Amino acid sequence: MINRLKQELESTFREISVAVPGENGITVVASPVQILTILRFLKDRGYDHLAMISCVDWIKEDSLELVYLVSAYLTGDNEYTGREKITVTLKTRIPRKEPEFPTAIPVFENAEPYEREIHELFGIHFTGHPRLIPLFLEREYEIPPFRKDFDTREYVKEVFDKIPFVENKE
Amino acid sequence: MDRNQIKKWLKSPGKMAHKYSLWAIYFCTGCGIIEIPPVITSRWDAERFGVLPAPSPRQANLFLITGYVSVKTLKAIIKTYEQMPEPKYTVGFGSCPINGGMYWDSYNTIKHLDKYIPVDGWIAGCMPRPEAIFIAVTHLWTLIDKGMAKGYVKYREQYGRYRENQEMALGRLEWPPLFPLKDEND
Amino acid sequence: MVTAFGILEIIASPLVALVVGIFFLGLFRKMMARIHWRYGPPLYQPVIDLVRLFHQRGFSHGTLFDLGIVVSLAGTVILVLFVPIGGMCALESSGGLLVILYLMLFAPLGIALSGGEGANPNISIGISRKLILALSYEVPFIFIILSLMSYYRTISIVEIVNAQSNFHWALFSPLVLSGLAYFMILPAMLGLRPFDMAGAPQEISSGTAVEYGGKYLAFSKIEHALALFIGIALFVNLFLGGGNILTFLLKMLVVFVAGVFVHAVFPRFRIEQATKYLWFWPTMISFVSLILIQIVR
Repeated sequence: MINRLKQELESTFREISVAVPGENGITVVASPVQILTILRFLKDRGYDHLAMISCVDWIKEDSLELVYLVSAYLTGDNEYTGREKITVTLKTRIPRKEPEFPTAIPVFENAEPYEREIHELFGIHFTGHPRLIPLFLEREYEIPPFRKDFDTREYVKEVFDKIPFVENKE
Repeated sequence: MDRNQIKKWLKSPGKMAHKYSLWAIYFCTGCGIIEIPPVITSRWDAERFGVLPAPSPRQANLFLITGYVSVKTLKAIIKTYEQMPEPKYTVGFGSCPINGGMYWDSYNTIKHLDKYIPVDGWIAGCMPRPEAIFIAVTHLWTLIDKGMAKGYVKYREQYGRYRENQEMALGRLEWPPLFPLKDEND
Repeated sequence: MVTAFGILEIIASPLVALVVGIFFLGLFRKMMARIHWRYGPPLYQPVIDLVRLFHQRGFSHGTLFDLGIVVSLAGTVILVLFVPIGGMCALESSGGLLVILYLMLFAPLGIALSGGEGANPNISIGISRKLILALSYEVPFIFIILSLMSYYRTISIVEIVNAQSNFHWALFSPLVLSGLAYFMILPAMLGLRPFDMAGAPQEISSGTAVEYGGKYLAFSKIEHALALFIGIALFVNLFLGGGNILTFLLKMLVVFVAGVFVHAVFPRFRIEQATKYLWFWPTMISFVSLILIQIVR
């Protein structure tokens, strides 16, 4: 089943690299413009559950990497999904300066909170997202907090330690 | 009850009644709330001390802030604290309200709770054992007896400074000031 | 004609009811604690709670908010005057059972009045549950009272009590089915499980009492204690033949302890389950009893 899917992917898209690291997963690395087509391709073949969208900050290579985890919710037993749970990991790299990416909501509707979280914590702007407002955070940050050049200790000293105790005010 | 207790009851019944009927508002602030259900149920019975969980802030007079306080939680804590009737007591539970605890260099938690609402006592630990909660309750009784648990009076008298600190941490506040603010340059 | 003894009775009845009601609240918490295998608070804990609540500075939402709880407490205190307690009854020649039927609804209506001003949706949910529950248990209650009135041919409770002296209790006469039906609706009237959904602390943040703080909550608790007293006292007077003051209090204690045992083991019903139950079994039993009484007499 996995090999069948690997062959289909490699024959349909070019400039894509597919690896099978184990029994239950496929890792696909593609370029940013191909991502939505690959997601639609996988969804048509029975992989209809977007488990998570995550992001990694490769500061030395000056790029951000988006990771999509897609699996078949109920193992459909068709020729692509098979009987065991197979997870497809889809990775892509985008440049770190003013990052932009098209939203995955037309394909998977439940991508909305994940993209909001990645927007507030990494700074990637998703074009076409209907509600790109913060999910967890309350304050404004110039550098998004999860990037590797955000110094948490400096931020704490600057913002929270400067607030005086009530007895010391005069 | 011996003669000493009866004399204390007759002299100031309000103070004695506040000691023996502390209703803690059941607001699950952080990760420390996992220590509260064993305390209020059969294992370590807190009802014999008079401590009951109260379902609404208007019925309570003790606020236990258990665990870390993120910026979003601070908003809810201030709103709840301002709804409680006076006199009221606050106890910081765990090491995170004291000085940040485990999250001392985090971008989203406040480090010292004392800057935003007045706190009467602290319990150290991560998390404290239920026996530590009972020792804290008896210490709070001693404080109330001596008249040293005056957090709510401090909040009323220095409300302007507390509100400044709250605005520094949270940005603009949506609710009006609880007590009328004095204008300094009048 | 108003005698000095009459005035004394009018003052003493609510005091006795208050003392016994608060004692029942304390006994309730102690018994529940012991059933849970833990020690509980001391028996005088509700007194400490009330003193603390009077000492707090509660928050008022407006004039109607204050008036509502006062109306509710006043209605309950007046209702106590119509119920014979032991040997004395303050207002015995003024209507009896019929007055009790319509004075019993003052308490929820007073709270509904103040609930409109305290702008919290939990209050509306709580008061709607309370009034639907009152609607549900009033139907078998009316059948029971009709059977009693037609068996003893009077509407005065004092005469019903006097007709049951020397162990001719109503429970041992053809009215036994009515007594059974009354015992089935007694938890609904007192607010014990399985019918305590009106003031549920976990679901709706104690419903009607969510905006009460300070002295308003103290009045609400006093009203709860008095309502507990009235519910049990009615049952003891009508079916168990309340005698002099000591036997009366002993019988009330037995009925209350039975009610606490039921409260300790049952979960809470939903409001539609409560209505379905109260309009089926107790209604049927009391209706059958009413027909039986007409045939027997």
